[in-house]
Amino acid sequence: MSAGVTIALRENTAERLVRLALFLGLAILPALWQGQYALGLLTLMAVYGVLLIGLDATVGYLGQVNLAQAALFGLGAYGTALAVQAGASFPIAMLAGIVAALLPGAALALPALRLEGPQFALSTLSFATLSVIFLNESESITHGALGISIIRPSLFTVTLDARGFYWLCLVVLFLAWWASEILLKSRFGLSIEALRDSPTATDALGIGTLRHKALAFAWGSALAGLAGALHALNFGYLQPAAFGYDLMVMLLLGVVFGGRRSQWGAFAGAAVVAMLPNLLSNRTLFLSLVTCGFILTLLPAIRALISRRLPSFRDAAPAGAMSLALALALLAHNVEDWRKGIFALFLFAAVVGLPDGLAGAVAAALHRLLRFTPDPLPQAAGGITMSEAISRALPLRTVQLSKSFGGVRAVDNVSLEIGQGETLGLIGPNGSGKTTFVNLVSGLYAPDGGSVEIAGNRPLPGKLMSAFSAGAARTFQNLQPFSGLTALESILVCQRTGGKREAMGWLRAVGLEANARDRCSDMSYGDLRFLEIARALATGPRVLMLDEPAAGMSKQDIVRLVDLIASIKRAGIPILLIEHHQDVVAELCDRVAVMDGGRVIALGTSAEIRRDPKVIEAYLGADDEETDGSTEREAQIC
Amino acid sequence: MDAKYLALAQMAVGGGLMGMAYALVAYGFQLTYAAGKAVNFGQGELVMLGAFAGISLSGIGLPYWATVLGAMVAGAALGWCIERVAVRLALQQRNEGWILLTIIVGLFSLSLVENIWGRDDRPYPTPWPAEALDFFGISVTWPELAIAAGALGIMTLVELAKRYTMVGIAVQAVSADPDAAELCGIRSRSAISLSWMVSGVAAAFAGTVIGPVTTVGPTMAAALTLKAFSVAVVAGLDSGFGLVLAGIALGVAENLSGYVLGSGWREAPGLILLILALSLRPQGVFGKKIIRKV
Amino acid sequence: MKASRSILAVLLATSFSSVALAADVVKIAITGPFSGGSAPMGVSMRDGVKLAVFQINQRGGIVVGGKKMKVELVERDDEGKNDRGALIAQEISSMGDISAVIGTVNTGVAVMGDKYYVEKGIVKIITPAAGSASMTQWSKAGVKDLPIFRFASHDGIQAQMVVEKALRLGFTKVAILHDATNYGVSGRDDLIAQINKQGNKLKAVAVEKFAIGDKDMTGQLIKAKAAGAQAILIWGIGPELAAVASGKDKLGFKVPMIGGWTLSMSNFIDTAGASGNGALMPQTFIEDESIARAKPFIQAYHKAYNVSRIPSPVSAAQGYDAALLLAEAIHEAGSTSPAKIKVSLENLKVTVKGAISDWKKPWTKWNPLNVETHEAFRRATTVMGKVQNGHVILANPSEKFVLEGATTN
Repeated sequence: MSAGVTIALRENTAERLVRLALFLGLAILPALWQGQYALGLLTLMAVYGVLLIGLDATVGYLGQVNLAQAALFGLGAYGTALAVQAGASFPIAMLAGIVAALLPGAALALPALRLEGPQFALSTLSFATLSVIFLNESESITHGALGISIIRPSLFTVTLDARGFYWLCLVVLFLAWWASEILLKSRFGLSIEALRDSPTATDALGIGTLRHKALAFAWGSALAGLAGALHALNFGYLQPAAFGYDLMVMLLLGVVFGGRRSQWGAFAGAAVVAMLPNLLSNRTLFLSLVTCGFILTLLPAIRALISRRLPSFRDAAPAGAMSLALALALLAHNVEDWRKGIFALFLFAAVVGLPDGLAGAVAAALHRLLRFTPDPLPQAAGGITMSEAISRALPLRTVQLSKSFGGVRAVDNVSLEIGQGETLGLIGPNGSGKTTFVNLVSGLYAPDGGSVEIAGNRPLPGKLMSAFSAGAARTFQNLQPFSGLTALESILVCQRTGGKREAMGWLRAVGLEANARDRCSDMSYGDLRFLEIARALATGPRVLMLDEPAAGMSKQDIVRLVDLIASIKRAGIPILLIEHHQDVVAELCDRVAVMDGGRVIALGTSAEIRRDPKVIEAYLGADDEETDGSTEREAQIC
Repeated sequence: MDAKYLALAQMAVGGGLMGMAYALVAYGFQLTYAAGKAVNFGQGELVMLGAFAGISLSGIGLPYWATVLGAMVAGAALGWCIERVAVRLALQQRNEGWILLTIIVGLFSLSLVENIWGRDDRPYPTPWPAEALDFFGISVTWPELAIAAGALGIMTLVELAKRYTMVGIAVQAVSADPDAAELCGIRSRSAISLSWMVSGVAAAFAGTVIGPVTTVGPTMAAALTLKAFSVAVVAGLDSGFGLVLAGIALGVAENLSGYVLGSGWREAPGLILLILALSLRPQGVFGKKIIRKV
Repeated sequence: MKASRSILAVLLATSFSSVALAADVVKIAITGPFSGGSAPMGVSMRDGVKLAVFQINQRGGIVVGGKKMKVELVERDDEGKNDRGALIAQEISSMGDISAVIGTVNTGVAVMGDKYYVEKGIVKIITPAAGSASMTQWSKAGVKDLPIFRFASHDGIQAQMVVEKALRLGFTKVAILHDATNYGVSGRDDLIAQINKQGNKLKAVAVEKFAIGDKDMTGQLIKAKAAGAQAILIWGIGPELAAVASGKDKLGFKVPMIGGWTLSMSNFIDTAGASGNGALMPQTFIEDESIARAKPFIQAYHKAYNVSRIPSPVSAAQGYDAALLLAEAIHEAGSTSPAKIKVSLENLKVTVKGAISDWKKPWTKWNPLNVETHEAFRRATTVMGKVQNGHVILANPSEKFVLEGATTN
């Protein structure tokens, strides 16, 4: 990182100061920039700001393309308008708007939140279309296509003029921003980010997927309703057609253009969505914007040429788009006819050139230029202990567990038990069903037959959360890191009790204290494996399942790992250990089970296993593809 | 037959045939989704561009079949362009940018069409007879039949090519596992490019058979994209011919509910069914179940 | 990063700088949908206005207080979207140097946006939006002083003529079809009100709607047919009207279509082809060069925009005449101030020879109890047109005198 100016402020504090200055500036802007139009644009920007901060909760934080926001906005607006018509006061009308968006939003959440990707997008899109149909067809309530006209009621005793209403919108935007920030930076927000990166891990670690998704969606809907309420009170006339697909596309572009997962981004997007289409109709402004844009997009291409390499697509494409825009702006017979096309070129250049959006690009630049005082880390506390009083029940018991995929019996009548404080090793050639067994126990798959009992509880089959509640915690063979979080945050979202001090304690226990502030996406493979163990430990498990923790680790790391597992064992936590490094298994495991073709073919101490003829045959007979470094078969079998 | 039932049958047949048009456009979604897991939200604009290309060709005196071929060539070029310009980068970065970039490219095409061909809807000239056919009192027009035949024809052709030509098999390999396909010497990037070109061909072809029924204009794009996307996702993005059934079901449901509940509500029951279908079978009615692996 | 910051800087700098007042020009704004579904009407209207302004400027401009001033146009595309229309209204009304506004196709845009003009007292001539609500909103609100004028045959008149025509053709049962927009729904309400007013001799046996973009009207038509409708009274715009016409053919449902002026739009006539023949609609203008009054305008339009037919002749001619009337009012006011122009529009002294008619004092002092005071067209100035082989002709050739007619009002 190049040297920059050091700022004697924490980043959060600096950001808050800048934000305060922004709002003060916006508040006094109408005094400098006269006129109805300026006020109209600024008000629209504030309303869209609230709306986009809400949309960012799903599109940014949840990482799902939500196409219902425009419709929810419309429902909120109609809720307020109808309440005003019924004679409601200002605050009640606003509340009606929020409720009118929140309730249908919640109804949509039930089916939609189980979906992801295109399916989620489609269900929200369908909801949006349904809402507009409803508004259009319920003529007795909404006056359908004729639209509904209202006169803004006075706020308590004050009759708001355009400027007063703008200030009110600013206050609402400020509050929405502030509340979103608190909500999304809290443990709840961390959980949402975690589940975007790995919904499987969040369920398996008891963070829960559905309720967080539902809450994020509800928060987004409530803000849509709030923005809708302001919209209705602002324009005083509503028609259903205004809340259709066109608006939705603009909103989506706004969020991505501004920068996802950031209230600043949502605000920047709102400013662009509100201002740009309207400002582009001013000829001089339009030309100067296109020219500036063109020159700016040329820079990366020129920089590439100076360093004597061919400009990449990302360097060249924005310049291409902007030169086309410039050509159209200068040559077209009537620029107004091409406005939409030129707007599209602008967006194209921005989306390609700034993949993290405006806010992301500015933040990156600031981080290069300035260095802030980091947040202090608390002292580590606690360590590895068995979290609750030891119950008499067996930590883990499976009876005749079976699972087939198509015609393959991946797990076939497996009955295993883990005793108090016992470490059970599970070995076997690749494809022998070890991971499937862990997936069955941890509730990722529902078994075809047999039962699982964890610490005396019988979790619902195929439910990660239920297995977790019963006391299971696991790590994953293929890492499931929460890439967007730091190491410390990854622990915080998994902890059931305790705060940052305890989280630091878990990091210390796995030797990652120094990495607390590192983002998971920047951490090394080995460190992430240790972090996964810390995550699982932080949940206070009754039984810990480690799925090939040493895979891909360096020699030194394996030594560290063995020490760590030994200390977990000393704390009395029962462990199911799947591992290919047989020296690790031999050193740590009280008993070892060997699986082959979905069945347990041997069970005993590692010494007994080593001599078992069936085991030797399984390894030597099967053409297994061990890639873990050991070359000698003997060593592999223990 | 009772007049009431006859009317319902007429509505159902008309809806079913229109549903085939949705399925045909939806097929373009399937092709690009299979290779690279990206969906072109500008597919409707591709259909529109194809139709306009066809109209221009028939404007210079070419016969209908030649306009169809010409439009398909244009469609292939456009499909390739969209992949190169809007999708490749976003897929490399593994983010959802493709949704936006395809929307943006669609927005630009819309503006382009408005300025080149004007804002009016135009009829697409065809050699089909103008009279409607009568099947037991249900009237069906020739262009409607052409949609059904065209949809089934082109889907069959592409599906056969996918199964029985080396190139088709290579594309399937890439869609199953691009990295493994690379290791076998298949250039996955070319396979993805090819899929987008075929998708463009399907879209342009759709334009030339849908155009004669609905007329061609800049406003046709958005509606088609949404309908076709619904059909593609509900059927399952890997469902093959399941699309046709889903398309017909949606078309029939729309027309019947429009007739029974009033035309303002025609889309509502279909949409409710769609949300329900998705919540019960997220992978699509005819889609393959996804197994989560960790 | 740097790029975005500079863009913002430019944005702010340019928006803050107030536009310098150019001394010797009259600024007039044109608003309407120049893209999207109702673009043919918006573009024709715009081009009609521009043609008039071009001719005025060629003659040196408008004489205002003894000084010749050129006309400068500001164009804004509202895309037919209400919020955009409202913002444009805010923008235009805060520009400070706009004398008047001509335009609006979509009634919703007028309902949402015109209040900003009224607040600032800026003159607006609505054309070609015909929906009743754009004027009745002001009479309902009881506004005392109104700078909004309409230059279009409003739906009240049109519905009256459509119902009269249906009765004169001897029908007793009709189907009402309309689109699901503000225009269509208020047209439906006007039709039903007219049927009541004219003694309920007609019975609406089916009332069906269709959405913008619908191409398959079979359902609506089957219902109309089953109910025994003898004619279809229809309120919609070009593409959907064409779909109704061809749907009628497909079902062998041979009844006449009678509807709003939009049945004269080129995108209806072209798309419907032969199936559009016989459609009847009220017209204020017909693109027929045999009408001596209209000929110069039609030829000038064809030449200026290099077309052989105007996409929406009514919109174009109304835009043209509205611009001429406005220019005369500015001349008579001797000022570019909207307040004075408003007064002179209400008291025009000179008869303006337009493409549609000779306009003699088309508007009078606003009276909230009578919207006709700010409506230029009357039943008597509107004729019935008929589609025949790709053109609109007079349904009743004896009405030609109305279009040739010497004076209006």
